Amino acid sequence: MTAAREAIALPILFLLVLLAGGVHIGAADPLVPPSPYVLVLGALIVRVAIQSGALAPEQLLASTRSTLANLNGAVVLATMWLASAQTIAVLIPDSGVPRLAFSVFFLMLLLHTAAAAPDRQRLLRSLAVTFGSAFVIKFVVLDTLSTPGDSGFRRALLALFDNVTAGALIQAPQHPLNAYLALLVVALFLMGVFLLPFREPLERYSSLNAAAGLIRKP
Amino acid sequence: MSETATRSIGLVLVSAFAFLIGWLYVRQPHTLAQVTGGLSAVVGTYSVDERAFADARRFFKNDQFVEARMAFDRADPAVRDARTQFYIAYSYYRQGWGRLSHDDRLYTEGLAAIDRAIALAPGGRLVVDDPALGMHTAEELKAELEAGLRVDASDFNPARVFTSRK
Repeated sequence: MTAAREAIALPILFLLVLLAGGVHIGAADPLVPPSPYVLVLGALIVRVAIQSGALAPEQLLASTRSTLANLNGAVVLATMWLASAQTIAVLIPDSGVPRLAFSVFFLMLLLHTAAAAPDRQRLLRSLAVTFGSAFVIKFVVLDTLSTPGDSGFRRALLALFDNVTAGALIQAPQHPLNAYLALLVVALFLMGVFLLPFREPLERYSSLNAAAGLIRKP
Repeated sequence: MSETATRSIGLVLVSAFAFLIGWLYVRQPHTLAQVTGGLSAVVGTYSVDERAFADARRFFKNDQFVEARMAFDRADPAVRDARTQFYIAYSYYRQGWGRLSHDDRLYTEGLAAIDRAIALAPGGRLVVDDPALGMHTAEELKAELEAGLRVDASDFNPARVFTSRK
């Protein structure tokens, strides 16, 4: 990995995710920082990325590197953690049962992914599918269900649905630009994870097998 | 460019961007004008639009408080000037003042504006030398607004109809 990518491109990309993910257009608080819970989930994403080889921390922090290079590496790790947390925060609905369900779902999913120990390619694919599905559910399904609509019939139907579900599913209406912003955040985050210094699969399996005592060094 | 230079530039850039994000999270700006004005204030280049400020004061003296606030907002779009916020709070006080009762909604807005003014004033001390005003300090105005929002025995004193607006 080049110094420019490590020192400039990746941290700026992840900080952009942190900033854009916090923007809530039309809300009383226009910028919302990641909550402690999503910071924990963000740490789990970093852990899974390291485990899968999608992130090779030894290429960012090592005693053989200079202090400045290690500082750049630490910045990449820290910004990736914050960006992971913010990406999840963007995809979790704002209130009600969907918020609780998504919060638990992401925790279970990340623990499951850690247990399954996928390789880099599978992890990237899994993150893209998971984030894409969460995006569709939050910004297409729930948003459509929560939109009051123009006609009286549609509003009456929404009121009935809200009563039947005891207000558990309906979300507060949000600015249409928030969906585009969320899509940008997810895309930038996935791009950032793709650009991280990674471990080659062979190297990964060799190191895992060596750790398990399956390969003896000559 | 050498690797050390690239890494150093990266560190400076990232630090500046991280500072900007932190500042935005703390300030919570609602408009682009508040972002640019706030950043100008950080580097010490922010100033109010004196022409709009003069218009606002003219409206204020004529008891055209809604117009005055619009002009004050134009004069201080970034909400960074303590004196302008003081006048905005004062306009809420004068508009909300009544001989028999005060308008709680306007007084609440006034209280929020005077709190902003106090937060923006250096050391929290704000004195406005304007002979047209009955109160010249942020503390006096804040106390008056708070007293107007409070319900106590003095509210039922018939003599209050003889009090005058400051």
